[in-house]
Amino acid sequence: MGWVAIYRREMLILTKKIGNMGYVFSTAISPFIYLFAFGLGLGDRVKVEGGYLPFLVSGIIGITVMMNSFQQTSSSVSVGKLYFHTFQSVVLSPVGNAAVVLGIVMAGVVRGLFFGALIFVMAWLFFGAGVLGSTGIVGMILGALCFSAMGTVVGLLVKHPDDVSLVNNFFITPMTFFGGSFFPLQNLPAWLGTIAGLFPIGSLNLLIRSSGWNGDSLAAAGILAGLTGIFFYWSVWLYSRYSE
Amino acid sequence: MIPGVSDPVAAVEAARLCKIYDGKNVIDNLSLTIPVGGVFGLLGPNGAGKTTLMKIMAGLVRPTVGTLTIFGEDAVARKSDMKCKVGLAPQDNNMERELSVEETLTVYGRMFGVPQLKRRVEETIEEFSLGDMRRKVVRTLSGGMMRRALIARTLMPKPELLLLDEPTVGLDPDVRHEIWEIIRNLASAGKTIVLTTHYMDEAEKLCEKIAILKAGRLAFLDTPEGIRNRFGGVDSNGEALETLFIQLAKEGRT
Repeated sequence: MGWVAIYRREMLILTKKIGNMGYVFSTAISPFIYLFAFGLGLGDRVKVEGGYLPFLVSGIIGITVMMNSFQQTSSSVSVGKLYFHTFQSVVLSPVGNAAVVLGIVMAGVVRGLFFGALIFVMAWLFFGAGVLGSTGIVGMILGALCFSAMGTVVGLLVKHPDDVSLVNNFFITPMTFFGGSFFPLQNLPAWLGTIAGLFPIGSLNLLIRSSGWNGDSLAAAGILAGLTGIFFYWSVWLYSRYSE
Repeated sequence: MIPGVSDPVAAVEAARLCKIYDGKNVIDNLSLTIPVGGVFGLLGPNGAGKTTLMKIMAGLVRPTVGTLTIFGEDAVARKSDMKCKVGLAPQDNNMERELSVEETLTVYGRMFGVPQLKRRVEETIEEFSLGDMRRKVVRTLSGGMMRRALIARTLMPKPELLLLDEPTVGLDPDVRHEIWEIIRNLASAGKTIVLTTHYMDEAEKLCEKIAILKAGRLAFLDTPEGIRNRFGGVDSNGEALETLFIQLAKEGRT
């Protein structure tokens, strides 16, 4: 049960941050601004089946889950590894490679779901967002797992703290704006829509918006689960070769 | 037989160890034996490879070539039971800054699967006189307090081999003496301690054997008495060691 020790370490550090309301507020403010800006500014102009606001709310929940899961693990590992050297205590411990990665990933999942749920509650309170179905809940969990594992890969791969912002700029930001969170992928040129359809955020959004289990939602869940597996094993492989 | 390697039952046995960073041999074909028990000093100018060697022994750095055994077992494979036998207190604080001292000890002990964790934390707090600072957040500790907490944390899982990288650097004389006392007590308790230092008096006072590294190689290995006999000095004030150190440094420049 070594992963529990790592998970509890990560969670203790995270709760110290979450205990600081400034941190919660600053983390929640971006999605909330997106919600207001796009909701009020584009609300009537984007034609989507079921209305733009429910579409936007689900997209922003997806983005929140993605960003928080990814950032929790990528910064915990990269900053701990390159800046404060706190990751050394994990490497020095006898906890096995897969258990270390699992502990880190699970903490990322908790952060992703915590902030995803927070945005959902805010959207429910202020915009009357509908309740999430089972596909939405499964999607959030799988999405959090996928992006948390992806963040662990990035955290272990980077050789310089600035490299994380490269990944943010070239992968996370394009996924934020071209992943079908703010507008349907069908609005994009066909070639760009096809590329954007491959982003894992697209699968996450599809599951959150899906009204029930069908071929598309099962395929989206399969993609997220598959990517989680790939990123997880990649992280374990990278960690097993860790050397300063 | 490899020069420098002789003891069949050693705490550490490095044979033809190399670590190359960007084409530079930071550890260069190093063979060294560190006996079980007592304090072993690793000295050398900046960039000699002391910290890299400590990190290799702790499992933070993988050697490029060579073998390393700790208490007779392969240390490069980084097996879990091996990690429990080795403790590293690095030169720079690597404790989480936002955790309290008590939380730091608990988290570290939990990762090592320390049995009766609460009791062990209390024991460690008492042993290292950390009672007054147990709830203090690490980032608020003074240099001396931080060093004491770092060594205490390293000892939570009761490692047999303790690696102390510059344990007294930048500390006031009274705190240095406090740390020396801790090191002496640990050595008396049967721990094997490897320490790096730039203070010659510290090395002479604490160490039973001293190795000087230079450009990643073993340049000198002897006891403090042996060094005094060859290079003068009557007291453990580091004079003889300093003479040797300067001589070795000059050799490199000529």
